[in-house]
Amino acid sequence: MAVHGEHRELVIIAANSQAASGGGSLTTRLIVILTLCAAVIIGLGVLVDYRLSRDDILERLQQESRETVRAVVIDIENWLDGVESSTLLLARVLEQRHYSEEGLVQMLRDAIEVNADIYGATIAVVPSQPGVERGFAPYFFRDDGALDYADLADPRYNYQRQAWFLDAVSAGEPLWVEPYFDDGGGRVLMTTYAVPVFRRDAGGERFLYAVVTADVPLAELHDYLQRLRLGDSGFGILLSRSGTVLSDRNSANIMRNFQDTLIQEQDQQSWQEMFEAALQGQVVARQLTCTGVPGRCVIRLGALESTGWPVGVVYSEDEMLAPLREFALKTALAGTLTLLLMAIAVAIVTRRLTRPLTELALASDRIAQGDLDAPLPAASGNDEVARLVHSFAGMKQDLKAYIEDLEVATARRSRLEGELGAARDIQMGMLPQGGEASERDEAFSLWARVLPARSVGGDLYSYFLRGRQLFFAVGDVSDKGIPAALFMARAISLIQQLAATATDPGEAMAALNDPLTSNNDNCMFLTVFLGILDLDRLELRFASAGHTAPSLVRGAEVMSLEQETGPALGLSPDLSFPVNVIQLQPGDRLAVYTDGFDEAFNEREEMFGVDRFNAALLAGRGLPVAAAGSDLFTRLAAHVGNSPQSDDITLLLLDIGDRDSGASQSAREFTRGPQLTGRVEAWLRQELGQHPVPEQTLGELILVAEEIVSNVDKYAGLAADATITVMAIAERGEVGIEVRDCGLAFNPLDQSGLTELGAATKNAVIGGLGLHLITALTDRQNYRRENGCNILRVTKLLEQPRE
Amino acid sequence: MQLSTTLDVDKQNSVARVALVGALNTDTAPGFEKRLFEVLEGGHQLTVLDMKDLDYISSAGLRVIFKAAKQAKASGRRIAAANRKPHIDKVFEILKALPDMAVFANEQELDDYLDAMQRRSRGEES
Repeated sequence: MAVHGEHRELVIIAANSQAASGGGSLTTRLIVILTLCAAVIIGLGVLVDYRLSRDDILERLQQESRETVRAVVIDIENWLDGVESSTLLLARVLEQRHYSEEGLVQMLRDAIEVNADIYGATIAVVPSQPGVERGFAPYFFRDDGALDYADLADPRYNYQRQAWFLDAVSAGEPLWVEPYFDDGGGRVLMTTYAVPVFRRDAGGERFLYAVVTADVPLAELHDYLQRLRLGDSGFGILLSRSGTVLSDRNSANIMRNFQDTLIQEQDQQSWQEMFEAALQGQVVARQLTCTGVPGRCVIRLGALESTGWPVGVVYSEDEMLAPLREFALKTALAGTLTLLLMAIAVAIVTRRLTRPLTELALASDRIAQGDLDAPLPAASGNDEVARLVHSFAGMKQDLKAYIEDLEVATARRSRLEGELGAARDIQMGMLPQGGEASERDEAFSLWARVLPARSVGGDLYSYFLRGRQLFFAVGDVSDKGIPAALFMARAISLIQQLAATATDPGEAMAALNDPLTSNNDNCMFLTVFLGILDLDRLELRFASAGHTAPSLVRGAEVMSLEQETGPALGLSPDLSFPVNVIQLQPGDRLAVYTDGFDEAFNEREEMFGVDRFNAALLAGRGLPVAAAGSDLFTRLAAHVGNSPQSDDITLLLLDIGDRDSGASQSAREFTRGPQLTGRVEAWLRQELGQHPVPEQTLGELILVAEEIVSNVDKYAGLAADATITVMAIAERGEVGIEVRDCGLAFNPLDQSGLTELGAATKNAVIGGLGLHLITALTDRQNYRRENGCNILRVTKLLEQPRE
Repeated sequence: MQLSTTLDVDKQNSVARVALVGALNTDTAPGFEKRLFEVLEGGHQLTVLDMKDLDYISSAGLRVIFKAAKQAKASGRRIAAANRKPHIDKVFEILKALPDMAVFANEQELDDYLDAMQRRSRGEES
């Protein structure tokens, strides 16, 4: 069990802490909501910033790429311009002046030596002129830093059939010839700027004198273009006017027509359009598929100003935009980091703000469990939480004060109850045999009981046997509770004084009235039945002071007695009371009772009534007088049900004659010590054995006696030489024992201390079993405390057929 | 009334039989408690309280049997009552004492139980 309890406690603690910091808490909700808000705001800010910055970055990237292209193009232009102007200068000089062949060679050589831009150059004299019929074309070109010479007029070369010569001649103006391999000349792939030189003859006729050329190797052009780098995979391309590839990333494509280098057929049209547009001097850009360029491939194509050659770049837009992506990544990273810091800040601030609330919740749990000293969280300032803590502290204080008041009030009440209990004991002690009396004689058998509505009450009974005269009385003070009890105390002492001397019930009643009337400013009053029975003649003379008429059972009949009654006692002095006389017979049973009996109401507001009382009385006529009395109370209780008892109830039964013949009782004191229960058992067996008691009943009664006596012996706290009185009672129809000890007050019939029965062996509680046996093996149990002694009486009914 | 007991041990079946003669009451309970716990020390699987000649039992006596049954149960052994007289039986009934304790109304039931136990232990061995 201990393990179980502990486990449950742990679970509760876990549940509490979950409630304090778990999913549903204010703290968590605040943190989540604030963080979400921050996330949205930061996200929007980052997005706007990115949008704005993106355009700037894009602009800058485009600028950069344009600059790169322009720089390369300008370099090439400058270079080619240099080549063109040098060549044109040479041509101009040749137009004006005449040189010998040696002079031409010398000039050509000088021109190349000073002009590093030029790879090779020739002055190809038109052979139709006098003196140069076989042609004259010296050629200088660079070869590993040195200057080489070749004679292009060599028949194996025959410059007059070369394209560069023929093109220049036919064009009649300077031009860049299509690239070619100069076999026998420079012996590299090259393109040539060819300028026709015209002279005027004596007649002023203009004639073609020579073609001056300067060569540019494609390899060098290619080098220039390769400097054009855009991104990792971007590259430059250069085409001739007829579409021959002069430079490309892939050197193998050089000297091929660009259309032949394309793999995708569908691109040919696009390329062609771009090529033509470039030749027109436009700058075009298209997005096409390109091999070796990742992502979106863009081609921009323009033309060189000098040569008109289409020049362009091919690049991956994705690579170009890589900085932008990097920027986006950085922005996202910064945003996330900001959000994270924000969330941490929100969590810290929220927790700090709500910590008093959390602590307050924990404190209130503890207070709810009764720990009123649970400390509350410290609250400074004047915010809502602080006000809450303050009002909570006030509530705690009030609660504490309230509980203390309640404790005081409870203590006061229990003291009052204790006093009332003592008062009840005292009051019951005024009645013969303490509120439930049993008296026998060979001529009569009497039983009486008072049941107060509250702790103390105003009902009374009394009896007194004087010689052969039985004096008995039943009274009922108006009202109930303490005032009635005090008035009853006056009355019972007066009645008991009278009982010793009274001979006439009417005079006795009058004698009782006068002292009760004096000093009765509260006008308390008392109804009394007062009877004197002559046991020899069985003549009953009785007077009634406003009391309910007694009932008489005779044979199978029951009746309420006719009576003349006087007024209630205590209201006015000097009254006289009529005396009623009735002749009783052996076997008669007389019942005197107070109105608490017949005027008891049930939950449906139905009175028990005299008729029901008489019927119940008749029904119990076969029972011994005590059993019949208890039976009447039981029937009354059954009628009343859960309605509270509204008035004190008293019943006195008087059986006439030999109804209880054979009744006997005997008592003996037993000193504590060895074999106590054995001695009790032996004596009881001897006493009760004289009566016709079945062996089993006797055995069970002896067992009960042992249980009671050993219980008293163990727990009553008696001195070692103290005595315990046992009484054996045998009456008609029942046997019983009464055990009397003057030890600690203990009511064994109080069910609250009983051990629970029927548990499995493992869990069974050992001990406390005797009390179960006492109640289970007897039919009636009665406990009272009298003069500082416990008196427990138990009775067993004998099997006996009812009439 | 006095109480006398006789002990009869069946080692083969690990059964101790304690026969009670007389009264088991407040006076005789302490002596019986001592005796019974001595028997329990023997470690028999089953201790049978033969009540054939027990005329009387009080709560003090039941307390001893209770206590013994509890201890025996804790160590995995059992206590059984045999041949309870009707009025002894009634006391057990009232106190709802030892609901899980084996009870044999007569010798025959006890013998049957012992036979069953024997068969079971043999069955376990084979």
